[in-house]
Amino acid sequence: MRRMGRISTKSLALWAVLSALALGLSTLDSVIPLCALIPVPGVKLGLANIVTLFALYVLGAPAALTILLVRCLLGAMFAGNVSALLFSLLGGFFAMCTMILLRRSQRLSVFGVSLGGAAAHNVGQIAAAMIVLGDTAVLDYLPFLLALSVLTGGLTGLIVSRLLCAVPRLSRQ
Amino acid sequence: MSMKASPGEYRPTLWDGLVVAAVLALAVITALAVYTPRSASGTLQVVVSAGGEPLETMPLSAYAGTHTYSHNGYTLTVHSDGTQVQVLYSTCPGGDCVHMGAVSDAGQSIVCLPARLVIRLAGSGADVIVG
Repeated sequence: MRRMGRISTKSLALWAVLSALALGLSTLDSVIPLCALIPVPGVKLGLANIVTLFALYVLGAPAALTILLVRCLLGAMFAGNVSALLFSLLGGFFAMCTMILLRRSQRLSVFGVSLGGAAAHNVGQIAAAMIVLGDTAVLDYLPFLLALSVLTGGLTGLIVSRLLCAVPRLSRQ
Repeated sequence: MSMKASPGEYRPTLWDGLVVAAVLALAVITALAVYTPRSASGTLQVVVSAGGEPLETMPLSAYAGTHTYSHNGYTLTVHSDGTQVQVLYSTCPGGDCVHMGAVSDAGQSIVCLPARLVIRLAGSGADVIVG
């Protein structure tokens, strides 16, 4: 209870808004028929990672991890799918751990951190698919997903860099 | 809203290029590991498995026709002309397995994650994915 008392109402509200936004973007991601263009199962833009990365830079790792966990749990609950929880949790935690580690390097920008996170997310999802399927056939898609993560990670990095530039202006208003 | 990022972190750096190179190198290495050591000895076999358990294994030439598989609450209609295999219809959400099109070479596979079904083309020997 004492630990909870350290989180201000404003922070709590912000975490909740970002969690809801991440959940919305995750749902939007699942309805975009990207697989019709790129025939690789599970290929997604990773829009929810925009919120995770933004939270990591603006609020720090504990907040970003909490938002990720809330998004994964609520997403699986709404989908009514336990394996969806495994996919999002493994992908999300692989990405989050990688982004936290990469961010410690002062030489990388948000683009590099985002790219590393996107690649790690795909590795996590392939690991989840191997567990669910009990088969290594999904490893065939890893090279494609890794190559695609350069594009999706770059896109996420671009959006988050624009958002980070806008945050100081928004804070002053 | 507190800021824990410094403005210098917004612009791409040369070190970001190193991350791009590392990810692409990893993609190439995994591609070489997964695709290069394929050996399609003898006739191609269609191996269908669900939830990690083998359902059906037969020569591709004998697999010609339409097959229906139901697993994990989803049904897939698979068609083969004896030289290639493709999922014609699936009740799974998204239909990624349908969008993947036809497979005709050893080592290629069609995966339906919601149905937990894998249709793989293998050489007549052991599993073709060696790496």
